[in-house]
Amino acid sequence: MTENCTETRSVIGILALQGAFVEHQTALERLPFRRKLEVILVKTPEDLERCDALIIPGGESTTIALLARLSGVLEPLREFVKTKPVWGTCAGAILLSQAVENAKKGGQELLGAMSITIARNGWGSQIESFEAPLDVEGLQNPEKPFTGVFIRAPVVIKLHPNPNDRPIEVIARLSPGLLPPALASPDHSDEPKIFVALRQGLHFLTTFHPELTEDNRFHEYFVRECVFAARR
Amino acid sequence: MDVINAEQARIAEEAGACAVMALERVPADIRAEGGVARMSDPEMIKEIVDAVTIPVMAKVRIGHFVEAQILQAVGVDYIDESEVLTPADDEYHINKHGFKVPFVCGARDLGEALRRISEGAAMIRTKGEAGTGNVVEAVRHQRAVMGQIRRASVMTEEELYVFAKEIQAPFHLLKETARLKRLPVVNFAAGGIATPADAALMMQLGCDGVFVGSGIFQSGDPAKRARAIVQAVTHFNNPKLLAEVSENLGAAMVGLSIDSNLKGGQFASRGK
Repeated sequence: MTENCTETRSVIGILALQGAFVEHQTALERLPFRRKLEVILVKTPEDLERCDALIIPGGESTTIALLARLSGVLEPLREFVKTKPVWGTCAGAILLSQAVENAKKGGQELLGAMSITIARNGWGSQIESFEAPLDVEGLQNPEKPFTGVFIRAPVVIKLHPNPNDRPIEVIARLSPGLLPPALASPDHSDEPKIFVALRQGLHFLTTFHPELTEDNRFHEYFVRECVFAARR
Repeated sequence: MDVINAEQARIAEEAGACAVMALERVPADIRAEGGVARMSDPEMIKEIVDAVTIPVMAKVRIGHFVEAQILQAVGVDYIDESEVLTPADDEYHINKHGFKVPFVCGARDLGEALRRISEGAAMIRTKGEAGTGNVVEAVRHQRAVMGQIRRASVMTEEELYVFAKEIQAPFHLLKETARLKRLPVVNFAAGGIATPADAALMMQLGCDGVFVGSGIFQSGDPAKRARAIVQAVTHFNNPKLLAEVSENLGAAMVGLSIDSNLKGGQFASRGK
């Protein structure tokens, strides 16, 4: 029996409670890993049990968290993130964070897998949504900028890893000149607000929407560096 | 979900709404009270924006581009150019390309949907028949859109040219729709959805999401019904769960028959 035949496929789930899950599915299916990946939509604890890794898509973080609780997925998700690779985009990035600013009244539920504080709607309302070329130092072909699509996007406010936590790597950043005046610091120390893709161990977040572009590099990065790496 | 004040907006947010529509009157009341229905007071919209963290939409009259300029200046997240308000222009819709804020527009069939997209609409919804609690028109419109897409998806290019002429749609948008086998923008159900089963029905007919207008706050237990409809949209293919969330919701809004005696008339016929 050849090695290829014995290899089981990694199951990547996409949390499909609300938001841009179909777009992630389409993006993953474009990757050249067809024989190594199975992509499923996750709506129930039974779906989640099948997964080796998970993507939490963009949408409304309040809606996704509530639906996760009502569907009985919230506690299984808290367990899942402790040991498995997870990527959160936009609302998903908020859910992965330890703390959130501009939460809804009465607060909102988080999974707390990454040691950061994030601000919801950090750039303002829908009309402040924008596209910008990103510096992608951690990706393939880093000389080629990636078009970041920011829709009512969150902003990273603070990194606070404990000494025992895995280190946080910056995978992509925004040009500081793009910060809205209200967010830019007078002394131009704009980090970490310009960090738009971060990785900590098996966890990965992007505050923008790579699934809305035709550029697969972030999906490829997650699959190679987080999902396949976790199998080794 | 349609809301008329900050308190209702909070109830909608807590129930899992992913956006609210700020209105002075819900469609059922517009229908009952009559008179000219216009854009809401910007002050009321701002109170709602301040009360919730989810996106806030508001309606403008068909063709009233100044109401749209005002709402964009107020900072709403999306604008609905809506037949539920009294049309300001019986010929022209707003040129939506000139705005930074995204628009949603109603449609009864594929031609109407593609004409609105051509004018710059970023989202489409069925017109249905708002304020009736009767889903029949929304079903008719969604079936029309999906049926025409299915037909277009197997047409040759020559046939598509003729079909574009027939449904009065821009050819390039029709061709793109036929290739994608779906509208090139997000497609919502709206106009008459009153129960979790209605919401799931529209999702099974191919919608990407659901607008609930009068159906929530004209019902016996708005918070519970809102939460049930949110769950029904996610789990639209799970009848067991739909049964659970449909239990004990209290009274649904009183529905109206859609015929020539319909109070307030048929909103769906406004705008082509």
